[in-house]
Amino acid sequence: MNLLYNVPAFSILLPMLAGVICLVLPARASRRLSNTVIVVLALLSFLLLNSFLDGAPTFTYRMGHYGAPIGNEIRAGELESAMAMMFLVVMMLSLMGGRNHLRSDIGRSKVNLYYISVLFLLSSMLALTYTNDLFTAYVFVEINTVTACGIIISKEDGYTLAASMRYLIMSLLGSGLFLIGICLVYGLTGHLLMPNIQEAVNQLVQNGHYQAPLQVTIALFAVGLALKSALWPFHSWLPDAHSSASAASSAILSGLVLKSFIFLMIKIFFRTVGPDVMTGHAILNLLLVFGVLGMLLGSVNALFEKDIKRMLAFSSVSQIGYIFCGIGLGTIAGVSAALVQVVVHAVTKAMLFIAAGGLMDASGGRKDFDALQGAGKRDIVAGAAFVVGTMSMIGLPFFAGFITKLTLVTAAAGTHDWRTYVSLAAIVVSTILTAIYYIRVLSLLFGRNGSEEQDGEVRGRRFLSAYLRRHLSMDTEYILAILAFIGINLWIGLRSDDLVDIINAGLATFQ
Amino acid sequence: MQEAPFVLLMLTDSLTLAFRADVLGLAFLTLALLMWTAVGIYALRYKDHQENNGRFFAFYLLTLVMLVGLSLAANYVTMYLFFEMMTLCSVPLVLHNGSAEASSAAKKYLFYSIFGATLGLLGLFFIHAYSISSDFLPGGVLDAAKIAGNEEMLRTIAFLAVMGFGAKAGLFPLHAWLPAAHPVAPSPASAVLSGVITKAGVFCIIRVIYFQFGAAFLRDTWVQRSWIAVALLTILMGSLMAFREKRLKTRLAYSTVSQVSYILLGLFFLNEAAFAGALLHVLYHSILKDGLFLSAGNILYQTHLENVEELKGLGRQMPRTLGCFAIFSLGLTGIPPFAGFLSKWELAAGALSSGLLPYAWLAPAVLLISAMLTAGYLFPIVIHGFFPGRAYRSEGPDTGEAPVAMVGVVGALAAATVVLGLFGAPILKFFLDLAGTIFL
Amino acid sequence: MNNYIVTNLPEVASIILFGIGFSNLLLARNLIKKIIGLNIMDTAIYLFLAAKGYVDNAAAPIVTSGAVDPDLYVNPVPSGLVLTGIVVSVSVTAVLLALTVRLYEEFNTLDIDEIVHQLRVKDKEAMR
Repeated sequence: MNLLYNVPAFSILLPMLAGVICLVLPARASRRLSNTVIVVLALLSFLLLNSFLDGAPTFTYRMGHYGAPIGNEIRAGELESAMAMMFLVVMMLSLMGGRNHLRSDIGRSKVNLYYISVLFLLSSMLALTYTNDLFTAYVFVEINTVTACGIIISKEDGYTLAASMRYLIMSLLGSGLFLIGICLVYGLTGHLLMPNIQEAVNQLVQNGHYQAPLQVTIALFAVGLALKSALWPFHSWLPDAHSSASAASSAILSGLVLKSFIFLMIKIFFRTVGPDVMTGHAILNLLLVFGVLGMLLGSVNALFEKDIKRMLAFSSVSQIGYIFCGIGLGTIAGVSAALVQVVVHAVTKAMLFIAAGGLMDASGGRKDFDALQGAGKRDIVAGAAFVVGTMSMIGLPFFAGFITKLTLVTAAAGTHDWRTYVSLAAIVVSTILTAIYYIRVLSLLFGRNGSEEQDGEVRGRRFLSAYLRRHLSMDTEYILAILAFIGINLWIGLRSDDLVDIINAGLATFQ
Repeated sequence: MQEAPFVLLMLTDSLTLAFRADVLGLAFLTLALLMWTAVGIYALRYKDHQENNGRFFAFYLLTLVMLVGLSLAANYVTMYLFFEMMTLCSVPLVLHNGSAEASSAAKKYLFYSIFGATLGLLGLFFIHAYSISSDFLPGGVLDAAKIAGNEEMLRTIAFLAVMGFGAKAGLFPLHAWLPAAHPVAPSPASAVLSGVITKAGVFCIIRVIYFQFGAAFLRDTWVQRSWIAVALLTILMGSLMAFREKRLKTRLAYSTVSQVSYILLGLFFLNEAAFAGALLHVLYHSILKDGLFLSAGNILYQTHLENVEELKGLGRQMPRTLGCFAIFSLGLTGIPPFAGFLSKWELAAGALSSGLLPYAWLAPAVLLISAMLTAGYLFPIVIHGFFPGRAYRSEGPDTGEAPVAMVGVVGALAAATVVLGLFGAPILKFFLDLAGTIFL
Repeated sequence: MNNYIVTNLPEVASIILFGIGFSNLLLARNLIKKIIGLNIMDTAIYLFLAAKGYVDNAAAPIVTSGAVDPDLYVNPVPSGLVLTGIVVSVSVTAVLLALTVRLYEEFNTLDIDEIVHQLRVKDKEAMR
């Protein structure tokens, strides 16, 4: 276990180092380096998670010479290492699945720059997962923002430029609020390490001093991070940003970047402010209401979209609403349900965006519904992924989406007041709306083909060999990535107990 | 007395996919298999008039597989899974001829069903949280200790879950998919849709009310009264809409809406006689409605006529089909000794003995009015078919009777109507015994 | 109330500046103005931090000869935080400025609403 203590620090520093090296490497070498780093870190995180499951206690790791309360710390437990593994696995699969698009969207000479952004993004996400210090969190939040912007604008056209500018502006508003919140907390408590702040906050609440600034601080944290996680009504930047980026970038953005901020928010609520103060706090009700509105309005907006990536982006807004609904319920069961949805949505949405990339390839690079007619038959792997994604979104047992509905409804049933009814009504309505627009796309994808020659290609025994010839040569990674995503989705659906137990055990030792 | 269910796999440590064959499940399974076989034989001949048969029969059989899974399900989550899969597998049947009308009807069917299933899913989650066992047990599985203080919430959820599954059974207000889906689906598909798939919704409702929440939990509550009110409303509304409808298959679809609510009414009274009457009507209505739809299929196959008024004088060229149609009409109206009389009688008896005012006397009155309306929308077809009146001149070619296989199946169903009507008492006794084991 | 404002003047001023910067970042149409707003916002936060660390009549925390009594110095931690913040702010401003240059090359305008409008028009053309 001794060596494993270093894994969290290693996870944060290694991608940064690799990113710097990528500056001087050509495209292929930087891709290989990046893949190696991610695989190595995934293995190490898995070993770390295993050691926690075997009973090792959570530990804090001192970064630098000075210990608490002056120095900087990171902390690892089951939940953190499980989240880290999830980030690493989904990022690996997204990069594999979107590799072809990188070549066509970015251009060979700049691919290594893309991998620099990706590696720094990965480092910042892992840092947000493991950090125990608020100001470090702020620094990595900013790194996260800038590198996320980097992976959007790597594909250079007018749309991505405008989208990333709007993303940056909204994001920086959130960061500003977050930073002033940190400064206020520092002013109130004199500490920046989360456990120390929690002690001081508890004392303040007991003494009754500085109640107004404390409430303002909590509100600032919540709103600042909500702006960055695309909670309704702060989601306006999301559709443009996620739909204009290249396939791998969309998958990473939708699946991982939003989640790292949500995880940070949960960490702040648990470890900085503390469950004693947070339970029953008014800000949670606000998050619940916004989450519910996001669930409904995100789906309503998705219904009217004629472009597959924008539809998936609005679907993300809706699914993020589920997460905030879970957090807003204010119980441990609610937060557990929110974390389950974090994992499930990361896996499902990344798969859908990669599949959308494949479908666009099979339709001449266009993403509007008219061009995508019959694309599911032209690219069967992407079509299968879309079927699995739809089943998961509707919530059929066997698939991962059923587990999030199960945990969320059970959590909602546990609070016996207006929150139960509002959440349940929202879940029912948003499920049916989600079913409508996903099934509509599905029937489009497997419907009649657009043109005659494509029809000819589809029928007949020549189909399979032609398909294999066309795809197997350069798309092995893409096929493997999608199959892996489908496998993970089914695994979560069939063996969800493992996931839910890890999350619950992690939450128990989280503060 | 129950044997252990066969667990296929575990979804979580408390939710499993499991199967068990109990009497109710086997009864439903038998019905489904028999109807599927009869209509399948019909479809083998009917298919000469349609294309893409491979696709049709593939989904026809897949839907049957899902029905088998549904009837043998040992717990709520298995039942929900197969219910959803059955919906998904039967949508291509509605969508079959690919026209714009079929496409919009299929979407309506799909979305109403999924909405209903989602309400049913809420029921699953709440039962899961408040039950002593996850299996289907007669008398319900609610844990009295856990539900203390939450009864109203659970009653609301029970109400919603049954309304959700009722969407499949054509219960108001989620019935609108039936009249849309039936005219566009091929006749064999309409037959199984009305005859068996709506009964899948009924089956799920039986499981939810009697084997999960328990009749005792719901008796004499606002939930029961609301259900009965909605069922009565649907019965009347379905009959009235059928009366006004000019297109034959749509008329039969509204008739289904009305008749399946007879069954639901019997279930909602929560006593043994009404329950047995309801189950008997499941059997009778399946046979009668399948017969009616297959006769309509014969007519479509031969003459391509869709509207009721065009069927004047049809008796001359298609006497056997129309004769069977007459038998089915007599049965559906509830005229002894044909199938359909005994079930309605038992339903009315169950209603009267329930003591639930004002429904105890209102229900038989509504049943009577509806029977008259049924006669009103079915008999004229037969009468005008055989006796078009002296002013009638036959237009159009005399295409003759439908092929032997198709007429044979319809005839077999008509014979079943007569036989099961005459010998309905033993079947009713079987269902009364079954009710005895369920009402603890 | 007046007493509070006077004794906490730097903090109050910084919050006001924060508000000015925030609303500029959010509401201004010109991209350069937005970036300036961001900088005002961040600088306001540094003022807040520095003010929080200040101790009356204390010296700057630079030790030239051996250990001394910490009570004589200003709190050094906020200064460290301000430095970190400045670094972050500079890099973010650099990214934003680079983006602005590219946007100007692409669209020939610095007005974000105008850019979005041009893109919408482009979308409508593509749909036809």
